[in-house]
Amino acid sequence: MFALVDANSFYCSCEQVFRPDWRKKPVVVLSNNDGMVVAANRQAKEAGIPKFVPYFQIRDLCQKKGVIALSSNYELYADLSAKMMQIIGRFAPEQYVYSIDESFLSFNRCYPAITCLKTHAQAIRRTVWKEARLPVCVGIGSTLTLAKIANHAAKQIPGYAGVCVIESGQQRLAILQQMPVGEVWGIGRRLSAKLTLIGITTAAQLAAMPPGLARKQFNIELERTVRELNGQVCKQWDEARADKQQIFSTRSLGERITDIDALQQALCKHAGIAAAKARQQGSSCKSMLVFASNSPHDERPVSYKAVVQFPCPTASTAEITAAVSRVLPQVFRSGVRYYKIGVGLVELMPTKHIQYDLFHAPTENPALMQTFDKLNQRYGSDCIFMAAQGIEHKWAMRRDKLTPQYTTKWMNLPKVQC
Amino acid sequence: MRVIPISAHAGITGFESPAAEYTQLGLSLDELLITHPNASFLCLAEGDSMQDVGIYDGDVLIVDRHETARNGDVIVANFNGLFVCKLIDTQRRLLLSCNEQYQPVSVHEYDEFSIEGVVTRSIRCHRPSPLLCP
Repeated sequence: MFALVDANSFYCSCEQVFRPDWRKKPVVVLSNNDGMVVAANRQAKEAGIPKFVPYFQIRDLCQKKGVIALSSNYELYADLSAKMMQIIGRFAPEQYVYSIDESFLSFNRCYPAITCLKTHAQAIRRTVWKEARLPVCVGIGSTLTLAKIANHAAKQIPGYAGVCVIESGQQRLAILQQMPVGEVWGIGRRLSAKLTLIGITTAAQLAAMPPGLARKQFNIELERTVRELNGQVCKQWDEARADKQQIFSTRSLGERITDIDALQQALCKHAGIAAAKARQQGSSCKSMLVFASNSPHDERPVSYKAVVQFPCPTASTAEITAAVSRVLPQVFRSGVRYYKIGVGLVELMPTKHIQYDLFHAPTENPALMQTFDKLNQRYGSDCIFMAAQGIEHKWAMRRDKLTPQYTTKWMNLPKVQC
Repeated sequence: MRVIPISAHAGITGFESPAAEYTQLGLSLDELLITHPNASFLCLAEGDSMQDVGIYDGDVLIVDRHETARNGDVIVANFNGLFVCKLIDTQRRLLLSCNEQYQPVSVHEYDEFSIEGVVTRSIRCHRPSPLLCP
């Protein structure tokens, strides 16, 4: 049996840990530069705040309804997440942290020892609340996909109160019938539209599809999902997160950029972030996308992009940065007030499996990059970086509504009245 | 400034320390003071109502959420949206101060109240720590 433990509107809940006066109140968290709403808790959703809308469109509504809007305090979320994961990890012999607020647990070798999974799940929920002051939901099922579905049911279907264990076939069917197919793990918007066309709208209907047909008409991934929905284990941890096919690092800017030097620095900074991520998953990229635009809400929205093909796949920050600088003239126009810029590494492939070209010797220096990454890992990120990124980042993130870093800065310790 | 804690070697080896085999890890205050690192948080005391148990204005408190509060414990609670540090009287539902000038406060049904954790240690800097001063 597997469990998925997932925090309820994690960013908002983190903001409430050290602000007891904000508990039970509507809270939203904004993206970098306070641009979009990226997280909203139940109370905020009830007040009519949708997710993924620009903040300026709902600013008045927030004020009227008393919704607390905050910048994203990643330092706080990362620290609280690490502690929460440690607490969750105590409840099973195997743990796999899937994202900042989700963790899988496996009870495979100890299942009979835990006499009642439901009581165990309730203990997880109670303990995480007591020790981390974060609300979580627990879903348990015989496959990772079913655990994910149970978690969804625990959150959405009233009566489960945050804990759902799918044990009997009857109960599994009842839950699958209530779940739209688009909510199943791995079924994206496009796939769910296609499935709807052939009459599959609920998870139960998908589970009833013959697995062979799923592979024939779609792909092996869907076949595995169908099998998992029926309780047959097909997915493992390490497969749970496949390597990314492409890596983007983009951001809207804190302060608009109008000169070419600042644009180069900002783009090089993102090239560095993307390259480091590619190296981390052991990938090299064959082509890169560089883009820059002003805001779509500007009077005359414009956007420019450039594509770079590398003769030899690379993951070297030095090579990728140099390439960005080379194509810079293609994305810069004077007079444009740039708002959103970024770099995308596309056509990624495992570095281990690169087929080298007879006529192009690889020019990257893996040992140098390894040292570069290790230094940054050991002494803090950006301890060493390409000079092309510049030193003064005027265009860096704007976080006007940032809460203190209660757990990572001495000056920000929460205060207690005596 | 961060210093790389690796000493440079210049080719002269000298004699191995006879104590090298006996080196132990240095003592860590975390180990001594924090029993449940994932369930604990630090906070700053403000006010003088707890001075008879030795908690003064500006002290750093270690609050352990893993511990369950017992009668007579020093606790941090959320009392109507404010973090307060008091001595808890579970039998009479009272929050007691440790200073003659403050009266006990009783917790009513209509109050928003939850125990956030037990104050297991308090730390006083007899000379101010630069980390805590602006």
